[in-house]
Amino acid sequence: MIEKIDLWFEERMGWRPIWKALALRNIPKVTWAYTLGSATLLVMVNQILTGILLTIYYVPSPQDAYNSVSFITNEITAGWLIRGLHHWGASAMVILAGLHMIRVVVHGAYKFPREVTWFTGLGLLAVTMAFGFTGYLLPWDQKAYWATTVGTRMLEVVPVIGPWLLRFARGGEELSAVTLTRFYGMHIWVLPALLMLLIGIHMFLVVRIGISAPPKASETEEEGPELEVEA
Amino acid sequence: MKPEERSEYLEEYAEDKKKGIPFFPDAVFKDVLVGLTVLIVLIGFAYFGGAPLEERADPSDADYTPRPEWYFLWLFQLLKYFPGNLEFVGVILLPALGFAILFAMPYLDRTRLRHFRSRTWVMGSMGVAVAAMGFLTVQSMIDIPLPANVTGEINAAALFTEHCSVCHGTAIEIHEGTNLHETIAGGHEGMPAFAATLSIDEIDALSGFLVSPQGGAIFTANCAECHDSGDLAAVSPFELQAALSQGTGYAAHADLDIPEWEEVVFGQDRTALLNFLLAPDGQRLYGLYCSECHGPAIDWDGDRDQLEVLIREGGNHREMTQWRDVLPDSEITLLALYVVEPSSSPDGEPLFAQHCADCHGVRVPTAVDIETAVEIIADGMSHRSMPLWGDVLTEEQLTALTTYTLDASRGTPTLIGQALFGRLCSTCHGDFGEGGPHPSDPTNIIAPISTAIYLETRDDATIRAIISKGPSEGMAPFLESEGGPLTSDEIDALVAFIRAWEDDPPVEFPPEIEQGPVAGGSRQVFSTFCAQCHGEDGAGGADLVGPSLTSDTFQNAYSDEELFASIDRGHSATSMIAWGDVLTAGQVEGLVEHIRSLVSRTIVYSRDIEPIFQASCSACHGSLGGWDSSSMQLVIESGDSGPAVIPGDPEGSNLVRSLRGTGMQTMPPAGELSDVQIDLIVEWITGGATEEVTIGGEQAGGSAYTWTVDVQPILAASCGACHGSSGGWDAATYDSTINSGNGGPAVSPGNADGSSLAQRLLGNGALMPPGSALSDDQIQIIIDWINNGAAR
Amino acid sequence: MVHGEEQWTSGAGMAKMSRRTFLSRATTTMVGGIGALMGIPTVAYLVSPAKARGGLGVDRLPLGPISKFPVGEPTLFKAAIERKTGWVTQTEELAFYVFTEDGRNFSAMSNICTHLGCRVRWITDDEQFFCPCHSATFNKNGTVASGPPPRALDQFELLVEDEQLFVVGKVEA
Repeated sequence: MIEKIDLWFEERMGWRPIWKALALRNIPKVTWAYTLGSATLLVMVNQILTGILLTIYYVPSPQDAYNSVSFITNEITAGWLIRGLHHWGASAMVILAGLHMIRVVVHGAYKFPREVTWFTGLGLLAVTMAFGFTGYLLPWDQKAYWATTVGTRMLEVVPVIGPWLLRFARGGEELSAVTLTRFYGMHIWVLPALLMLLIGIHMFLVVRIGISAPPKASETEEEGPELEVEA
Repeated sequence: MKPEERSEYLEEYAEDKKKGIPFFPDAVFKDVLVGLTVLIVLIGFAYFGGAPLEERADPSDADYTPRPEWYFLWLFQLLKYFPGNLEFVGVILLPALGFAILFAMPYLDRTRLRHFRSRTWVMGSMGVAVAAMGFLTVQSMIDIPLPANVTGEINAAALFTEHCSVCHGTAIEIHEGTNLHETIAGGHEGMPAFAATLSIDEIDALSGFLVSPQGGAIFTANCAECHDSGDLAAVSPFELQAALSQGTGYAAHADLDIPEWEEVVFGQDRTALLNFLLAPDGQRLYGLYCSECHGPAIDWDGDRDQLEVLIREGGNHREMTQWRDVLPDSEITLLALYVVEPSSSPDGEPLFAQHCADCHGVRVPTAVDIETAVEIIADGMSHRSMPLWGDVLTEEQLTALTTYTLDASRGTPTLIGQALFGRLCSTCHGDFGEGGPHPSDPTNIIAPISTAIYLETRDDATIRAIISKGPSEGMAPFLESEGGPLTSDEIDALVAFIRAWEDDPPVEFPPEIEQGPVAGGSRQVFSTFCAQCHGEDGAGGADLVGPSLTSDTFQNAYSDEELFASIDRGHSATSMIAWGDVLTAGQVEGLVEHIRSLVSRTIVYSRDIEPIFQASCSACHGSLGGWDSSSMQLVIESGDSGPAVIPGDPEGSNLVRSLRGTGMQTMPPAGELSDVQIDLIVEWITGGATEEVTIGGEQAGGSAYTWTVDVQPILAASCGACHGSSGGWDAATYDSTINSGNGGPAVSPGNADGSSLAQRLLGNGALMPPGSALSDDQIQIIIDWINNGAAR
Repeated sequence: MVHGEEQWTSGAGMAKMSRRTFLSRATTTMVGGIGALMGIPTVAYLVSPAKARGGLGVDRLPLGPISKFPVGEPTLFKAAIERKTGWVTQTEELAFYVFTEDGRNFSAMSNICTHLGCRVRWITDDEQFFCPCHSATFNKNGTVASGPPPRALDQFELLVEDEQLFVVGKVEA
């Protein structure tokens, strides 16, 4: 039965070569540390899914934001879970991305030929932090409001354009409805678009160039300072 | 890496791959297993940790200590090491540098070696960076470190740590002359008011700590072993002085093993210590040491220097006569009575004016009881009950005390507040804050502000904010900087007065006040609402809030549309409210007409009307035959279909029909005249279409009701819900009111008896409105209106 | 390739399974688990508001002590209820004509004409409810006396408890 369906689609879509290229390729023998990247990816999917679900009830205005978040948390079935997953997922994403980066540094995996993968990874880390910062304001509770007040004020210390940056981030002198909507817009449109772009390149390179093999301790012994090329 | 190293790596990698494992299912299995675990852990966190949500954001609550998400904490903590101008380094430069290094990693670590053992410096610096971030994060999670200038465990330092260091860091620079106590209690420039959070003693301890960090250090070094600075906050300065100067000679220190104070604490340090223990805060010092004898404030008309000398020298000031040598006992008693309670002893007033006013001014000194007053008056210079404050207070403390006493002598805040309240607030809030209907908007009931529950639930800062900025609606901001009439001090006084109710709230229960919807014609509406601010005749007045509506400037400055908009939407900057919330659009229109009718205006044909015709009509009319606009007489009499103007009847005049577009053709064909211009022409015709026409004015107190002003509002309110859509009689327009009706025209002008409208209202035939008749007044208005010709 | 040659033996006499097949199946199962863990709450979350039904919005709406209701004459009572939709709370006013013959048994009916929704009012002299829109009349018990309305005035279910009268819901037609 499954074979038949498989064949039916194969004849119409021709996806088997793609599946073969993606899934049935060989990769070097890896350790458990190599699952950190895919775990980050899974949490990202979790963030996207739960984030989309949250927008179904969330309203980005100072009048409604808090009430709608409270409504999601306390009255919608599984609302606490969806919000909880999004909330804790944010922390998990930072932790996993951080560990993933440490793994990459330990393995020297940013070296040739994976420099671009490393750059996009750093971009992804920055985007993740920006997600955390913009998302923090959205529930419009005390913590959100005051932490963002302090957080945006940091921009003011930049020489010359500091005050302008502050007004740009807040959409005015003070934290207001304008700040909320622009953070919201950033959080659900601008940053996801950037994320998609970067993750696309990152994943493409992981498949195209392949993941790095765990370095062997023997490399130092084999190679003298003359760096002879092995036959 | 060199080119050959690169190709070598690629070869090696291809080999690894060949010896490797298939991505699916081997690697995917691991990935999915870890992914599932992560997801379950997340669900566990969501289940046990919940999705945290604090109180709704309150931008006015500046007590909140903000904390960023945990993964930004290290950055937050980093800021504490980069104060002032260096903040830029901590906030921007270091993180940017860190990121730049990460980006450059492939170029910094450029050997072919990949195993961590061969890349010690990379591993090392990464370890240091991770450890540093971890350290900073942990550091910011544990308590904020104590201010640098404190070593011991003392009260004020803990207060500082808890309340100030979040924003101020480890130390605050205090400008000379700052009234710290007031600043802490009342807040300023974004700093919260701590009056509600901290006790007076705590605020005092804190200000002493801040103004005299040196004193804090001395205290910590010498006294903190036995004393807590908070315990000493309200102690007498004489005791402090004695304890300091007498060393072990001071009774309480007698048996203790403490050093000779003279050898330990010297001049400047002693001042610092005293300032630390007893903050130079005038109000506090006055409250502790002066008010017992002098009451809430002394009476002082002299200058500052004299007052300072008086306080310094206390009982030594010898200018006051020993009155017992001059006045008989009876007069001294009389004066004493007058001083203690002026109103009960009016006979004392001339005596006071004669003997005392030269020095004491018009303000009467206070005394606690008659005996004391008699003694003071009789003894004069020798009354030595007042201490020589100069001996025990530091210069800073003396200055603060003098300043406060001088301010307070202008009246206690409560008294000033009471006067202000009577002048500015009682109109709306009632003499005792009992509230009631808003004087200019009776549908809006002002809740009492003097109930116990109201006062308990609002701290001074809140009341101050309400008065300063005005709540969202109804009340104008009162603070000078917000455009109001009061200085910051005056608002403080008002707050003090309102707060004084709390001990004995004058209002126990909110009175129940109900108010129905607003009804009535525009004259009635005007006299009910508008007249309160603009005067019954609309002319304003010196004691009224609103401007004159009858002045030429006012009448000429605004078009009818602008007047309508003003009434409908109000002005946010003044106490003019948006009447559109209370009145119907018809009533507002009626008001505009009423305001226009308040003044008599003269329309001069040659000045006001002729220019309109010249500009818009004479290009065609005058040469093409038909109507001719070249002179007033021709304007009236000429025309293809008979005279264009029928004086007194604008509706019947062809000219008006053409201008309004209700006739055969709209004139001018190229574009209509403005409403203002058409109105002017209509008014000119209404007034008789002569060279000089006077309109309005006579109606102000008149008796002639009109449909628009008087009748329409009644009909709209009581009949319009049914009539107007269901056929039969229709009250929507003037014409339909007169002419429609199931049994022929409902109104025959001049004859109320023969008008079915009037008869049905009176209940002759089926009563209208069904079940509930209009009020007698309303029916009378309609009957009078019909009998007077049913004027539009 | 050497994979697939290792044989895995599952317990309880199951057929032998290659390592590859086992990993594939385990992976598929776990992916299904992840899908279920995220999918089930998602559906519940989306369906949740659909479960809310109309009604009074409150369990019971107090109208006051029964002693205050005049006997023999329908009297209009108004009560405000707060209706919560999502996170928005609105105040609505409900009006009832409460009628009792004996001070013990009560009936309550809506004052909304069943024709086009105008407000009817009680005309004491005629002993009828009168709708001003199309001159419809209703009898004291709410049935149609004359005019276009298709059915009697809506009735409300009442409850007397501790001498207090409550409206507990609409009587379904």
